[in-house]
Amino acid sequence: MQGNSESNGASGAAADYAVRTEELWKIYPQDPRPVEAVRGVDLTVASGEFVAMAGPSGSGKTTVLNLLGGLTRPTRGRVWIEGREITALGDRELAAVRMNRIGFVFQSYNLLPVLTALENAEFTLLLQGVAASERHERVRGLFKEIGLEGVEDRFPPKLSGGQQQRVAVARAVLGNPALVLADEPTANLDSVTAEALLDVMEKLNRTKGTTFVFSTHDPRVMERAGRLIRLVDGRIEGAAVESG
Amino acid sequence: MTSRFSTLVWLALRNLGRELRRSSFTAAAMAVGLALLIVSRTLSDGAHEDWIDAGVRLGTGHIVFNAPGYRDSESLEDRLSAEEVAATLAAARDAELHGPSLSTVRVSTRGLASSPEGGLPAWIQGVDPADELAFSRLGSDVHDGRYLEEGDRLHAFIGTGMATRLGLRIGSRMVLTAQVADGGIEGQLVRVVGLFRTGLSGLDDALVHIPLATARDWLGVEGATSVATLLPHSVFTGQVIAEASAALDASRVEVTGWEESTPDLYSMVKMDDAGDWVFHFILFAIVALAILNAVFMSVLHRKRELGLLRALGLSARETGLVVFMEGVMLTTAAGVAGVVFGFCLVWVFFRDGIDLTGMMPADLTFGGIVFNPVLQPVIELKHLTQSLFFTAVIGLSASIYPAWQVAALDPAESVKVE
Repeated sequence: MQGNSESNGASGAAADYAVRTEELWKIYPQDPRPVEAVRGVDLTVASGEFVAMAGPSGSGKTTVLNLLGGLTRPTRGRVWIEGREITALGDRELAAVRMNRIGFVFQSYNLLPVLTALENAEFTLLLQGVAASERHERVRGLFKEIGLEGVEDRFPPKLSGGQQQRVAVARAVLGNPALVLADEPTANLDSVTAEALLDVMEKLNRTKGTTFVFSTHDPRVMERAGRLIRLVDGRIEGAAVESG
Repeated sequence: MTSRFSTLVWLALRNLGRELRRSSFTAAAMAVGLALLIVSRTLSDGAHEDWIDAGVRLGTGHIVFNAPGYRDSESLEDRLSAEEVAATLAAARDAELHGPSLSTVRVSTRGLASSPEGGLPAWIQGVDPADELAFSRLGSDVHDGRYLEEGDRLHAFIGTGMATRLGLRIGSRMVLTAQVADGGIEGQLVRVVGLFRTGLSGLDDALVHIPLATARDWLGVEGATSVATLLPHSVFTGQVIAEASAALDASRVEVTGWEESTPDLYSMVKMDDAGDWVFHFILFAIVALAILNAVFMSVLHRKRELGLLRALGLSARETGLVVFMEGVMLTTAAGVAGVVFGFCLVWVFFRDGIDLTGMMPADLTFGGIVFNPVLQPVIELKHLTQSLFFTAVIGLSASIYPAWQVAALDPAESVKVE
């Protein structure tokens, strides 16, 4: 089957990419007929890229992100993270990949309300078994870099929307993931806060080489993206697709 | 806190802490349920112990020692010799290890009690007055006159029923007739010194106590037909039977517990116990529903967070485990609070018992006992442990379903929930 391809990318043998997909399909069984949310997406994102995925509502952006992050399993097709196929993994292995190699930033309500800003940010490190002193040092260092100094002990309801998203970004990058997947991270922010958040992510991409893949409607995100992928009806625009 | 499991425990604790009010209400509901269970159980056990005590004091004690065959024949031929009585008393004394116990030696036979006004079948017991006074309730049920005393010889203590039917009063003479040890029929003249009234017609109409020495002389026996032993608590019965049986020659002395010697009483206790378990089952079910509702509602409200935990690297099993541990912690906290609250209730309100005099007829009898209208709580470790065990099982079981639901959540769908 010839896939609809944004980039053919490299084979899984040499993992010079953060994430790669092959013929990715996601079909939801529904009456009266199944919904093809993602239709044969071939995608490769190189390590260190800052990629935005744009498209109208219902075009499959969030579903693609969920597939890339192993939050949902594809109906067909395969996903590799740094050369490791995650579509073949069981639940525990997949959870370990999410913990160690993938960071998530969601649109809103992103933090665990029972934890402070510091505890939220260090949560992945905690799961990874990093010692408390190192965790705190890394969190405080990053908080200083991204303007979150002084909010360490605040619980999420006491943080502004922008601060919450920055804490979520800090949590996503602190575990040194191969890839950060951000699902419309600026959607609930005012323009100043959104710009500030993008500054933070851009800086992390530039200084730490963290790979970011966004889904977005926001033109500011698209402007800053190193590459823009357009999704329409579950496939990458311009790519040919065979019927699912 | 670097171990994975301790992280999950920590998270579960924080989740419970956030929903402190809801968690407290749920735990309080469970604690009150358990406390009521403890109150109900202790009162029930108290009532049962009271029934057993009343029954065995009027009958054969918690344990009765007889010659083999006596329980069926009730014949003087099947009696314990003087040596066997001594050995039996020694074995019974070992029961003192479990607390103060009492034994009484009896020579019993069926016979006829007669007066100038007629005759009645009688259950005649020769007893040691001092031992029997401590052992039996008859001494405290004196209606008129007095109980037998040391030095009494040709005296009898009879029920009010028999006295009425035979036209006897204090000081009246009556003749007891029975088959003696050598097979002949002989009579014994005695004088009534006291009347008892238990409320049980079987006793009030038929039981006659005479001094042990008089019975032995009249019936021609040296030993006894039975040695009855009263233990500090019925719970020791099985253990003392085992110990006494090991110490005695089974071909010469038969050891029987109250469950076998007073089967009506045993059935009544068992039936009431079954009723209690039905009531407790309903309480357990309410407790289970409280936990299930609390944990399940909390899960429904936190779908997005639980999806987020999956995204952050928790496996389905671990996410379910967090929710399960919340239920376990809630159950544990409620269990501890319930036990403390339950015992406080028992101690503060019920240590002097509950008087149900106004709720039941006087002299209510059943199964060979007269009901005591004052319910006194008794804490039986076995039943308390059972209640705690079932509460724990129910708490854990009620946490499993929400945990399983959480483990089955689709993380991609969950993180979408607003």
